[in-house]
Amino acid sequence: MRLTRSLENLIEQLQKLPTIGPKTAQRLALHLLKAPEAQAKALAEAIVAARDTVRPCSQCGYLTETDPCIICRDPSRDKALLCIAEETSDVMAIERSGYRGHYYVINKEFKLMGDRSLEDLDFTPLLSKVSSGEVRELILALNPDIDGEVLSRYIASLTAPYPVRITRLAHGLPVGGDIEYTDEITLRKAIEGRKEI
Amino acid sequence: MRLNEIRLNQFRNLIQVKLRPQPGLNIFGGANAQGKTNLLEAVFVLATTTSFRSGKEANLINHQASRCTIEGIYNKQDRSIEARLSIDREKAKLFEINSKKAYRSHDDRLRVVLFTPDDLYLIKGSPVRRRQYLDFALSQISRPYAYELNNYLGLLKRRNDMLRKDQGKSRVFDITNELFVKSAAEVALSRIRYVHRLQETAIPIYERLTGGTERLQLRYALSFAVDSDTINLDILREHLLRIGHEKRTQEILRRNSLIGPHLDDLNIYVDDKLARLFASQGQQRNLAVGLKLAEIYCFAAISGYYPVFLLDEVLAELDQQRKILLLQELARAKYQSFLSSVETIPSLPPDVAWYTVQNGTITRKE
Repeated sequence: MRLTRSLENLIEQLQKLPTIGPKTAQRLALHLLKAPEAQAKALAEAIVAARDTVRPCSQCGYLTETDPCIICRDPSRDKALLCIAEETSDVMAIERSGYRGHYYVINKEFKLMGDRSLEDLDFTPLLSKVSSGEVRELILALNPDIDGEVLSRYIASLTAPYPVRITRLAHGLPVGGDIEYTDEITLRKAIEGRKEI
Repeated sequence: MRLNEIRLNQFRNLIQVKLRPQPGLNIFGGANAQGKTNLLEAVFVLATTTSFRSGKEANLINHQASRCTIEGIYNKQDRSIEARLSIDREKAKLFEINSKKAYRSHDDRLRVVLFTPDDLYLIKGSPVRRRQYLDFALSQISRPYAYELNNYLGLLKRRNDMLRKDQGKSRVFDITNELFVKSAAEVALSRIRYVHRLQETAIPIYERLTGGTERLQLRYALSFAVDSDTINLDILREHLLRIGHEKRTQEILRRNSLIGPHLDDLNIYVDDKLARLFASQGQQRNLAVGLKLAEIYCFAAISGYYPVFLLDEVLAELDQQRKILLLQELARAKYQSFLSSVETIPSLPPDVAWYTVQNGTITRKE
């Protein structure tokens, strides 16, 4: 059975979104066609408006409508702390933790096995921030997997010539967790990263 | 560990099976293609969530069904555990332990040691088999090892990928290599320590099998020379780093990693001669049986309980005397075993449960 061309097109476009498969795409498309017209148009306009106005912040890379972004403009934040994150979604998560420093967002998912070499990523904005002397500590907040570990060490090697402290997030026990039920690998990481009290 | 009950639904030709095996030796007889190996496979799949036979996972499901399930109730020391695995043509497979969704590395999963006619190639076959033998045994004993091995293989893949993309001289390669060397040393040291314990266990077993006439020795063979009497993580790391550096030009040329535990081997010696080159047919069979039994006893010595032993059609590969020796060992062992055999068994030891498998139905013979 052939669908109307515009419906087929809509399904195809929706399918390009992450986590959306053919069945979900079809359901969403039909829903949009049955929903009140204003609702569907509002979605379309929201997409266009967001695409037109939201850009990575020229200072930190966080997605924003105003440049510099609200985080970079906030005078109460500690300029000496710079947290390096892979994506804006990671920044959103770290923000919820109450962190009050600044960010540097890479905005590109990095995979060692991908087509792009790590050396193609442009870190000059980061290096100029670090060399300005304003930053006292770099906090590497990358995913605790092989690619995140390599990227962390790579950034650490790039910034090694400057007098900054380089740290990264701890791995270990979840808050409110129970030692007895923690798997041995996490426990080992927790022992390696133990802290004096 | 003792499997007290197993229930199968639509698993290959075993449409509906409910079985309460004996604590000791359970023998499954019957003609070819009746479902004997399928039963052993089901136990293995419940323990590891993957099959030892090649082919697609969907082949485990009866061709007329859309889903199969394997359920088992077993003892781990004094606790009773219930595991369930369902494999669906449409959905991801679901593994549960005590009715909770579980990872395949769950500590309460069933543990098994498998012995198939393929294991006779363990001695003379390629080193991959011997590494797999060590890795399977160690991964069942130690979750940190399974994690580190997986980490190592991930790093090796990335390292090879960079060599293929001609990035062997980049800073990123050096960083990846540092992590690679760290992980390689962990994997190698765990295997060295395990082989040490394995040898202690295997020597008396091999003596029993050969009537004390032959001397067994096991050595973990690193793929690079270490000029030191003691071996520890630092020494391994330092050698891997230095020799890796010397081999870098060659690695870039060959576009492949030329150092690391993925190239190591387990050297087996009988009377100081390397079995891979010199063992006779009879010695190979003794060694295969001996190494499998050692895997069980070594597991028990380290973990404090026995795994379940699965033997698939191995009797046909052994001569009369070894058959009897093996059956006697199984009949009086502390561990539970499942043995499939197409041939009738001579002089059956007492206290053995005997089943007939015919066209997907399993019945116990009195």
